[in-house]
Amino acid sequence: MKKIDLVIIGGGPAGLSAAKMAAESGLSSLIIERNFKIGGQLVKQTHMFFGSEKQYAKTRGIDIAKILVNDVLKYSDMIEIMTGTTVVGLYKDKVVTLLKDEKYIKVKTKAIIIATGASEKVLAFEKNDLPGIYGAGAVQTLMNVHGVLPGHNVVMVGSGNIGLIVSYQLIQAGVNVLCVLEASSEIGGYKVHASKLKRLGVDIKTSHSIKKAIGKDYLERIIIGKLDDKWEFIEGSEEELIVDALCISVGLSPLSNLLSMIGTEMKYVSYLGGLVPLIDENYETSIENVFVAGDVCGVEEASSAIVEGYLTGLVVAKKLGYIHPNYDKLYLDFKAQLHNLRSGPFGEKLRRGLEEIMR
Amino acid sequence: MKANIVIVGAGISGVSIAYNLAKKGVKDIVVFDDNYLSGGATGRCGAGIRQQWGTKNNCILAKKSVEFFEIAQEELQYPRDIEFKQEGYLVIATTKEEDLQFVKNVKLQNSLGIPAVVLTPKEAAKIVPHLNLDIVTSATFCPTDGHLNPFTVTDAYYLAAKRLGVKFFYQEKVLNIIVKDNKIIKVITENYEVITNKVVNAAGGYSKEIGDMVGIDIPVYSENHEILVTEPIEKIQGPMVISFSLNIYCQQVPHGSFIMGRSDPNMPQGYNVDASWHFLDEMAKTAVNLLPPIGDLRVIRQWGGLYNLSPDRQPIISDVKELPGFYLACGFSGHGFMFAPMTGLLLSEIILGEKTTVDTTDLHIDRFKNSDFKDYEKSVV
Repeated sequence: MKKIDLVIIGGGPAGLSAAKMAAESGLSSLIIERNFKIGGQLVKQTHMFFGSEKQYAKTRGIDIAKILVNDVLKYSDMIEIMTGTTVVGLYKDKVVTLLKDEKYIKVKTKAIIIATGASEKVLAFEKNDLPGIYGAGAVQTLMNVHGVLPGHNVVMVGSGNIGLIVSYQLIQAGVNVLCVLEASSEIGGYKVHASKLKRLGVDIKTSHSIKKAIGKDYLERIIIGKLDDKWEFIEGSEEELIVDALCISVGLSPLSNLLSMIGTEMKYVSYLGGLVPLIDENYETSIENVFVAGDVCGVEEASSAIVEGYLTGLVVAKKLGYIHPNYDKLYLDFKAQLHNLRSGPFGEKLRRGLEEIMR
Repeated sequence: MKANIVIVGAGISGVSIAYNLAKKGVKDIVVFDDNYLSGGATGRCGAGIRQQWGTKNNCILAKKSVEFFEIAQEELQYPRDIEFKQEGYLVIATTKEEDLQFVKNVKLQNSLGIPAVVLTPKEAAKIVPHLNLDIVTSATFCPTDGHLNPFTVTDAYYLAAKRLGVKFFYQEKVLNIIVKDNKIIKVITENYEVITNKVVNAAGGYSKEIGDMVGIDIPVYSENHEILVTEPIEKIQGPMVISFSLNIYCQQVPHGSFIMGRSDPNMPQGYNVDASWHFLDEMAKTAVNLLPPIGDLRVIRQWGGLYNLSPDRQPIISDVKELPGFYLACGFSGHGFMFAPMTGLLLSEIILGEKTTVDTTDLHIDRFKNSDFKDYEKSVV
């Protein structure tokens, strides 16, 4: 059985930052990444980030990914990276089982940082499995990573930041965005993103949703409708649209399955996107030396994931006896950054959610 | 709250007891469970229904239970399919000793009306073609054994009992049972105090703790038994394949997944139901050895559940001489699911002082007072 002191599951912003900070403290780690390259969802994000300089504001996601990846590659003697590798089991005796190239590998470790991120939620409607119906994240991957257009006439479902940004990116790529549907009576994302779309003439239809998809072998048309205040379709409000792609952006839910498997105490918190682990102030779960960082403990921005990664990397290293020379200063700095990222009215639901999972 | 009878545990045994009592006209039955419906051993079990046992008691309980399962859909008026699939159990022998034992077992089973037969390895391969015949010395087969969905049948009992007026409380742990002058007077739960003088202990893995509350030492202990389920594929295996010497049971369930389990001889006693990588290693080796094509399937989930083991691996279904009003349905040793119809029927008869459908002397807890209790069930994985 392979042995290593720290296993980090997920090579996105949280996992990479955790590995870097652990290495800076003197602790070696193994990053396990399901995808064929590290960087997580940042690699498909061509838009610039908000926030402060410390979390790379005004930098495009794809460039932040490059910075984080380079940071990790600088410690190639201390950070081992396994890509194309899926964690298939996580056990209480801190054995992590992996599948790589159809090979089953067991790793015994002392500490685990779970940074698996989140996955896109889906919507239930008739024929929602027709080819041509995508998650917003999948559309970003298609366009921004692979350079493939999802279609020519697209409707976006969901007006959160991702829905708005991806709609804008679709237009930039020459796709006709017919409209954005929003089930709630208000637009979900930042006004600045919504305004950009409106200026381009895109109708953001609030209190509207998709009723059904139509098509034989692939998506050909959709029926949309207006919702009443109980989110029921109003009869007679149906409208048929000719589209060849539909993009669903109705939020993310934490990828917390591995936490359930190892048996950490969990709680369903809708403000955080779904089932999340109970954590202490250092992101340690109810199982000693099992930590979380990033969206897996509550869906937020990549900037928070980066800082949570740094914080857990720093703390785990100390717990295993590797104390960063600037530990105290860094610790306070990371805590302050997280506090700032979550301050203000947009952070309110998040703050309430996080309060619910504090152990 | 007042109750005629409080049942502790709403697994398959508890719901069956509640249903049988209510059907006989008993009012004010209250059932408490500290978990959700099928949250304990019932929802974690291997879902097999077997009549091929080595002791008379187990054979009779199993046979009569199968007779109920065959009509359960109508009897319990359940609107969904309870998923009872009778495609048999193929019991594999791999040693001379087992060959001889199984011939005896089948003789016993046949004498009690169970239609089991002894097969040569070649005959066994006709029923399950992907068997590794190199390790099979003989087999026995009973076509009326099979598979039953634990979730649907427990739900069916639960709904039927509820229609008859039984009250169920989930996520409601029994904290104590108060006894005064050798009589039960009260059951205390997290949110209720129930005045009653009859309590049924159907608490599965936690039966011993319930016994301890009233000072009755039940000679059972609990142990984690692990199990896994694979991805579904098209049907290739009808019966459950089981071997005591190889330590495996493995069945393809109606939706196409394979469910399999084995016991770990080094498992410590206790209430841990964790999944282990060690189990996955051993289970994979055993399964591939006996049923080679299974090795190509992906495992989608693994979990553990509690066996509540009695000294002779046969259930305790009885009253308690030392404490009138206290009744036991425990120590099922991994087979409480398949015996549940008889558990409910017999215990309801015992509680109401009726003549029992079958002789229950050997199911009484007092059998363990003599250390030379006669039959020990060896046919257990």
